[in-house]
Amino acid sequence: MSAHRDVVLEVNGNRHALRVDPGATLLEVLRAELGLRGTKENCLEGECGACTVLVDGKAVNSCLMLAVRAEGKKITTIEGLARGGELHPVQRAFVEEGAVQCGYCTPGFIMSAVDLLESNPDPTDDEVDQGLAGNICRCTGYTRIRRAVHAAIRHGGEPA
Amino acid sequence: MNPSMLIGRSEVRLDAQEKAEGTYVYGMDFSVPGSLEAVVLRSPVPHARIVKIDASRAESLRGVHAVILGRDLPHVFFNNNLEDQPFLARSVVRYHGEPMALVAAETRERAAEAAALIRVDFDPLPVLEDPELAMLPESPLIHPQWQSYVVDPQVRRGGNVCCHTILTRGDIEAGFALADIVVEGDYSTQSVHQGHVEPRVAIAESAGDGTITVYCNTQLPYWTRTQVARLMQMQEEAVRIVPLGIGGGFGSKLYAQIEPYVALLARRTGRPVRMVTSLEEELTAGLPRHPTRTHLKTGVMSDGTIVAHQTRMIIDAGAYAGSSLEIASIGALMLTGPYRLPNVRMDGFSVYTNKTNFGAYRGPGGPQSLFALEQHLDVLADALGLDPLELRLRNIAGDGDELANGQVLQGVGLREALLKAAAAIDWGAAAQANRGKGLALGWWTTTLQVSTVRASLEAGGKVRVRVGTPEIGTGAIMGGVPQIAAETMGIPMQDVIIEVADTGSGLRDWGSQGSRTAFNVGRAARAACQNLIAKILAAASGALGMEPEGLLLEDSRVSIRTDAGTCISLAALAATDAGGELIAEAVSNPEPARHKTERLSSAVYPAFHYPHFYCHACEVEVDPDTGQVRVLKYAAAHDVGHAINPALIEGQIEGGAIQGVGMAFMEDVRYRHGLRENCTWTDYKLPTIADAPDVESIIVEHPVPGEALFGMKGLGEAPVIPPPAALANAVYRAAGVRITSLPMSAERIWTALHARGSTEAESAEPQSSR
Repeated sequence: MSAHRDVVLEVNGNRHALRVDPGATLLEVLRAELGLRGTKENCLEGECGACTVLVDGKAVNSCLMLAVRAEGKKITTIEGLARGGELHPVQRAFVEEGAVQCGYCTPGFIMSAVDLLESNPDPTDDEVDQGLAGNICRCTGYTRIRRAVHAAIRHGGEPA
Repeated sequence: MNPSMLIGRSEVRLDAQEKAEGTYVYGMDFSVPGSLEAVVLRSPVPHARIVKIDASRAESLRGVHAVILGRDLPHVFFNNNLEDQPFLARSVVRYHGEPMALVAAETRERAAEAAALIRVDFDPLPVLEDPELAMLPESPLIHPQWQSYVVDPQVRRGGNVCCHTILTRGDIEAGFALADIVVEGDYSTQSVHQGHVEPRVAIAESAGDGTITVYCNTQLPYWTRTQVARLMQMQEEAVRIVPLGIGGGFGSKLYAQIEPYVALLARRTGRPVRMVTSLEEELTAGLPRHPTRTHLKTGVMSDGTIVAHQTRMIIDAGAYAGSSLEIASIGALMLTGPYRLPNVRMDGFSVYTNKTNFGAYRGPGGPQSLFALEQHLDVLADALGLDPLELRLRNIAGDGDELANGQVLQGVGLREALLKAAAAIDWGAAAQANRGKGLALGWWTTTLQVSTVRASLEAGGKVRVRVGTPEIGTGAIMGGVPQIAAETMGIPMQDVIIEVADTGSGLRDWGSQGSRTAFNVGRAARAACQNLIAKILAAASGALGMEPEGLLLEDSRVSIRTDAGTCISLAALAATDAGGELIAEAVSNPEPARHKTERLSSAVYPAFHYPHFYCHACEVEVDPDTGQVRVLKYAAAHDVGHAINPALIEGQIEGGAIQGVGMAFMEDVRYRHGLRENCTWTDYKLPTIADAPDVESIIVEHPVPGEALFGMKGLGEAPVIPPPAALANAVYRAAGVRITSLPMSAERIWTALHARGSTEAESAEPQSSR
């Protein structure tokens, strides 16, 4: 075991001083150290996208990023999207359009969709598909996820 | 019964917001402080005698709390129709990935390190991968002691054949004698994995009084309890299973896997023990779909009337029987389909091989059967010069028709489903070059057995509905059940609190599986709420000075029928219920479908209950240069009897259809020399959003008579069943090649396109003779 390192992580606008194993992934630290279990764990090798978070606004598989590498960056997890008790428009669209079934992939999909819409506010269907192809959903068949992304565009990209 | 207020509306399910916020607690999010972490040591070889197993180095590693080997366990087997599977291999391993030892340690890394130090000496045994070879009399036996196993006495078996099911009707030879044309064909299907995104996880705690609690993401808490109690040699009542949130199951989390292991380790160590099945382990040794090989021979008269239908399905059971006995029965029902067939013979063989014991993936036995049957019918239509749609219209069953197993159908929306699905893709319009249309239809069961629900009036006039089985994602428990409860109680859906109770509640339930959940739990919830209403009216009777018959419950209050202004709210009634009297329970356990027992033998699932009917139709484009298929249109029509929540139903249809698209084109649990090959999601391809066409869902409603609530039928599994068949039929029309093995990869289609014209390729094509 290597020596632990002190890091300061900025997650959802809050700064956390932590002592972490240099080998620990951002996913492990978010879930185990910060109790942010909305970021989901499955493949641990960047295949499923369930652990997607935003790092400086970009969607990242947190299972593939070392926590120490996230120092100095702004990290946003699913818990950090809602504002003043109001769901983010992408979250609201997933709920209202029936894009949530078992829901285990949902936080990762929502984070990927937020990144997509911030960089491309009016994507075509193909661009939606390319933007979300790194996330696996086994329940919905994706029809309603596509629909939710388009509904979120209609709701307006910014949280209330 | 007059469903009006909520039934039939696309209400938002109660758990959607928590799931979108990331606050919903899944099995993977649950923890017990002070837990040890545990791993399974799995066999690296497919078939061998265990000569020696030495765990001394693992046991002495710092941080290791327990190492358990097969020889440490009582001599008991998992409780199936055929009890052939040990909880841990003792003297023989029969598949790659078979559990051999358990290790619990302070961390998962330490447990894995210790497991790697367990030394196992193997003496290799012959590896049987091919079920057709395995069933030959001269093949070595995978279970030489097969005759000693405890088994359901009706099961016909011998050697490596663990079940031989037969379905007969009429006189098959006389039927063929009547035929103008006879068509034969062979089809095979691969194994595919459920692909749930949440891993399997279990945490056990052993209490000082000898009881055990297991927290886990199981679909079937009561059956898991049976398995844990069996291994622990405890009374079932001393085991408590606490179901946690499930991130996808599709049958993978139906049967106990790791739950008995953590229970054993918790008792051994005196500490809570947690175990997660990694994705690699899951893909190596989970419970994926059974591979099959099917031969069909069908005789038809020149007007398209089918007069003889003979089929043989060989089911690769894997190393243990598991659910393969049921698959042989289901194959018999699916291969005879919802068709009017006077003369039938079906033989289903479940056969041991040295592979993981295949399991109950959504609609088990369904896609395999339809891939064969519905392609075969298209070949038959071509031989007759009939439109495939027309051939089906001439032979499908309707109300009052008797199927091969002797069951008589009622409330059949099959014709409507067929016509609507075909119309949705403009069936009659000619397709452009390299494009083609296909369809496939079928039927499916609603699994019955017990569900129990307890309803109580709570503070503020809310109604708590306690159920004995979890929400697995379909929305049956968190959408359908509260909708039915709210409708019955005359309250808004938001005033229903759903509580998934652990097995300590005694709310017995046959689980969230088998297309049964909304049907059975919904039915029990309706009855429990009706029983609760009787108690509420009795309580209100005193307050309002009117007999219960003169009272009406609606809009969250009880009023006098003839004087709506005189009323008492449910909230006020709850506040005065000091004794906790306003609670009621109900059990749902409907009668199974009737069939003719003399037509089936060795059949553990002889009839489909409250059957559901469906047809999928699609148009595809095949790139002749690459063999790549693009799905242009996909329509799926399902007769659900009565739609409780259309949006949830469409979600099941869309999701099932795309799982079927994955099976059709991409997914394949591959073995080479008995070893699993593609055990990551890089190598095992699941459909992403970029691979998934939009699915047009068509809801058909032909209510089924009997005990079904509002005439509804089970839905969850069926949408996964017809896609490989419908897509294969469309590929044939587009490219002129009939793909008889799954998956229909671009490589396989390209190879077929380029082999066209050579005699070798043609010999594999289905044959017809006049």
